[in-house]
Amino acid sequence: MIFATPWVLLALAALPLLWWLLRITPPSPHTVAFPAIRLLFGLTAPEETPARTPWWLLALRMLAAALVIVGLARPVLDAGASLAGGGPLVLVVDDGWAAAPDWSRRMAAASGVLDRAERAGRDVALLTTAPSEADAASPVASVAMPVAELRPRLSALRPKPWPVDRTAAAAALRPWAGRGGAAYVADGLAGPGWDSFAAALAAIGPVTVLRDEVPPARLLLPPRAEVDRLVARLQQAPRPLPETVAVLAQSGDARTLARVEATIPAGTGTVELPILLPPELRNRLSRLVVEGPPSAGGVVLLDERWRRRPVGLLAGDAVAAAIPLSGMLYYLRRALDPYVELRVGDLASLLSREISVLILADHVVAAGPEAAMLANWVEKGGLLLRFAGPRVAQGRASDMAEQPDALLPVTLLAGDRQLGGAMSWSQPAGLDDFPPNSPFAGLKVPAEVRVTRQVLAQPDAHLAAATWARLADGTPLVTQATRGLGRVVLFHTTANADWSDLALSGLFVDMLRRLVALSAGISGITEADGTRLAPVETLDGFGVAGPPQAAAAALTAGEIATAAASPRHPPGLYGPESGRRTLNLGTRHPPLVAAPPVPGAREEPVAGAAPERLLAPWLLAAALALLAIDLLLSLRLRGLFRARAGAGAAVLLLAVALPAQAQTLLPSPPPPNPALVTQLAYVVTGDAQVDGIVRAGLLGLSDYVNRRTNAALGEPAPVTPGETDLSFYPLLYWPIVPGSPKLSGAAVTALNAFMAHGGIILIDTRNGGSGEGFNAGSEAALAQLAQNLAVPPLAPLTPQHVLARSFYLLHDFPGRFDGDDVWVQRAQDRTNDSVSPVIIGGHDWAAAWAIDAQGRNPYATLPGGARQRTLAYRFGVNLVMYALTGNYKGDQVHIPAILERLGQ
Amino acid sequence: MTVSARRAEALGARLPPLQVAAERVAATVAQGVHGRRRVGQGDSFWQYRPFLAGDDAARIDWRQSARTDRHYVRETEWEAAQTVCLWRDGSASMRWRSRAAPVEKIARAELLLLALASLLLRGGERVRLIGGAPRSLSGRVGLDRLADQLARLPESGGMPPEAPVPRHARVVLIGDLLAPLDEIQRTVARLAAVPASGHLLQVLDPAEALLPYQGRVRFEGLEREADTLIPRVEGVRDAYAARLAAQQKGLAAIATAAGWGFAVHHTDHAPEAALLGLYTALAPQGGRR
Repeated sequence: MIFATPWVLLALAALPLLWWLLRITPPSPHTVAFPAIRLLFGLTAPEETPARTPWWLLALRMLAAALVIVGLARPVLDAGASLAGGGPLVLVVDDGWAAAPDWSRRMAAASGVLDRAERAGRDVALLTTAPSEADAASPVASVAMPVAELRPRLSALRPKPWPVDRTAAAAALRPWAGRGGAAYVADGLAGPGWDSFAAALAAIGPVTVLRDEVPPARLLLPPRAEVDRLVARLQQAPRPLPETVAVLAQSGDARTLARVEATIPAGTGTVELPILLPPELRNRLSRLVVEGPPSAGGVVLLDERWRRRPVGLLAGDAVAAAIPLSGMLYYLRRALDPYVELRVGDLASLLSREISVLILADHVVAAGPEAAMLANWVEKGGLLLRFAGPRVAQGRASDMAEQPDALLPVTLLAGDRQLGGAMSWSQPAGLDDFPPNSPFAGLKVPAEVRVTRQVLAQPDAHLAAATWARLADGTPLVTQATRGLGRVVLFHTTANADWSDLALSGLFVDMLRRLVALSAGISGITEADGTRLAPVETLDGFGVAGPPQAAAAALTAGEIATAAASPRHPPGLYGPESGRRTLNLGTRHPPLVAAPPVPGAREEPVAGAAPERLLAPWLLAAALALLAIDLLLSLRLRGLFRARAGAGAAVLLLAVALPAQAQTLLPSPPPPNPALVTQLAYVVTGDAQVDGIVRAGLLGLSDYVNRRTNAALGEPAPVTPGETDLSFYPLLYWPIVPGSPKLSGAAVTALNAFMAHGGIILIDTRNGGSGEGFNAGSEAALAQLAQNLAVPPLAPLTPQHVLARSFYLLHDFPGRFDGDDVWVQRAQDRTNDSVSPVIIGGHDWAAAWAIDAQGRNPYATLPGGARQRTLAYRFGVNLVMYALTGNYKGDQVHIPAILERLGQ
Repeated sequence: MTVSARRAEALGARLPPLQVAAERVAATVAQGVHGRRRVGQGDSFWQYRPFLAGDDAARIDWRQSARTDRHYVRETEWEAAQTVCLWRDGSASMRWRSRAAPVEKIARAELLLLALASLLLRGGERVRLIGGAPRSLSGRVGLDRLADQLARLPESGGMPPEAPVPRHARVVLIGDLLAPLDEIQRTVARLAAVPASGHLLQVLDPAEALLPYQGRVRFEGLEREADTLIPRVEGVRDAYAARLAAQQKGLAAIATAAGWGFAVHHTDHAPEAALLGLYTALAPQGGRR
């Protein structure tokens, strides 16, 4: 703890004087009016002991005075050491991605620096070392300003998703050389230009560096796609202790599909984490994230390069190829369909779209434009997978001798080789184990696979290197050759079961999948395209995706693959949805190296301890409280403050201090128990007039029902969906008022639950048949209000409906108005025992039912007549009966049919 | 003479609260006091007696005589109305009460004055308020008027003003009587010279009697006396009690010398006891009448 203004503590020396003064000053006497004062004049007590202030009161006052003095000395708890040097201070903050994992600690540390500078009365200039995102400008130091003005700037800082620019920062620091001091909140990474930066920093004056022992930043490099796995690569500055890191593989909806862990050995900077996922899951990955504090460096976005690998299929005889069980493409389809997107067509149409692998099953590539097109595609990165077959073998034999097929990895001998059979001594051959350089390495070779026929490669020096699989006798079964960026692979047997059992085995599926995974993907093929891709979503410093910054510019696909993250090109997603590309921070990031110490600087940990806390307010508040107690005690000693008043004051203090609790203590009138009486209910609209009409209407209806039927209804209850428990009410009358606010989520939930559990809502738009003169706009209001309600499909209410027969037999259903349709649930719907959960109409029934205090009907019916009102009441009775008995009266509807059946 | 509940209600509607209280106090005391049960001049009916020779024929009560064969003479009770002059101290020192007392001293003094007046008026005496209208009041209406005069009385000094007092009247002075003794002596002597006999009632607050304060207390007077600071009140309590006793002893001596009565009443005691004392002090002594 330190004191910001320690000289105030000198006043503590005056405390004994205060003690003495307080001690010799007797307490003020009570003052009492006394009529018999004449008898008191001149009276003196026999012993005159001087009245003294009680010692405890004295101690209380001394304590209060001491608290005030100590408080005015402004003690600060957990204060950091004062900053070295004088003059203006340059606060340098690393705000690149590497600062993001512990950004709040860094801000607290920077804020602590500002606290210290403020105490020392030094102006502070702020320099952030990463280029700013708004205008992509190089770092520039602000002018030196008072700390209070700098604080908002500091709190507005956010880490940037690109690395810091030390060279530019050094340039910005040079004008400050020798002018004051510097404080540097470092991310601990060296990076290019560190030396000049450190030199410029040290040249300013005394430097305080706030940094951790090891930089906490971890950078996720773009993963490497391998045959059956994705290998995530994590980089960090080497640390003295081994540490365990985890990488999460997430899908587009941010669900984690896989989590891999690895231990980084001490002193090592890079670790690889293989992510083994089935291809169908792997295709859904959209990002890899380092588990732990978020930063842009810990996120790698994946695009099509790591995912989609469309496969084209082409057979020599397209018609025969599709025949089940014997066609050339049948097994290929069965093997690949679950995992990849398959396309079938002629060569031109297949190559016109992005395609990653092309499988030619026993297809002879004719020289000419077709071969040129294929060769071009392979050169740009395509994987051409060919299967041998009778046509290939024959093609070799006949006319290709002088024109070797360039799209075969090896030169084939003419004809084919038959193993086993009636005229042969040899036996069908099994497969040898896969050589280690083969992508099939590690796959288990089933013993039952036998190859009976194959085409043979012409032996040469490179044949062994070009062979990925061979038979037990050593003849190649799968050969390959690279062509430009692409690759050509040949299976020396057929893709069906004619020449071998390979297509029947599970090994075939695995081999094909490995080959597909081997392909470069579609990106490698279309990169020559010069279209500029605009940024769609960019990451912020914490790796959270958001709309792109203003300075972000479009790039071509080729540039994206090699671009380094910068304000112009922030990491994120680029391009249209069909061909989305990702720019990752780790693509072109220099290796992470811990920065050496700045020469001559004092180092402090970033998060030394708790933040500074000012004690002065608490001390002064305590002193005030003590003085208040002293006041009460003094008043009591003078007799002006009685015990009862004291209790009152204490109660008052409590009441002030605990207003919330006091309010909760107020008893609220118990609501009437709606479970004890059947009540109609209406939805409170907020329009007092409408609510009054509806209440009067339901009162009139309840009265009518009570007189005419055995039902006993209580007073109608106003309800607010979402607040009132609706489960007690059978029928809810809901008048629609134009311009009502949208229903809250709780209200929608409550109304839907009400309808789902057997409640009936009568929705009254109060305009049906009125000729648009009344309640204009209620249709729109209904549409808006009912937006989220689970209203079933509706049909007009007919006289055959239960509602028209539940008590009276009704043919029309007038209210105040007449002539419009009333809508109920369709008869087909059997939910809820065929009881319609909602009845929608516009006849303003409540106004027809309404009675005033004298029992009269205040609202005239239109077109009018006592008959209409009677029918309105009868509809109301039917409604109540319908609500109370459900489909009980539904049998009534079927009586003609039942009678007819009984008659037979 | 019991005031029935219905009557009390009617009274309560008409009378100010003080008068009601006075009536109630008076009613309790009147139970135990008996008036002059003798035939004489007066308005109240006393008895019928047979006509005797020598009686004035005009005194025959014809209504009564017509019921029987004999003649009756109607006799009234003897009424010897005496004027009682009442006074209470209305000074500022009376308008005070301590925490232990239920009422201010002046409230108790007025209650006693009115209750006494009520009793006297019921007994047929005439009352007059010293300082009020210079007419004696009588009858039931008299109490109303007395209460009215009492309410209008201006704030006065510690001693009754030099208003004319009828000869041989009785005087009742109610107050705290804390003024210097010679001042009281002068007043009593003046009244006794009229001649008039009477009674002094000292009404004291319990705090005045006991001085129940503690510690360092500054006392202030109510009538612009200087204030005094007592460092330790408990130390002077005995001295104060001695001074108060001396004052009361002096008062008693003054009263005795003038042939008057003297009593002390504390406001925390029941007013009935004081009223009974006053009333019996005023009632005719055996043999004197």
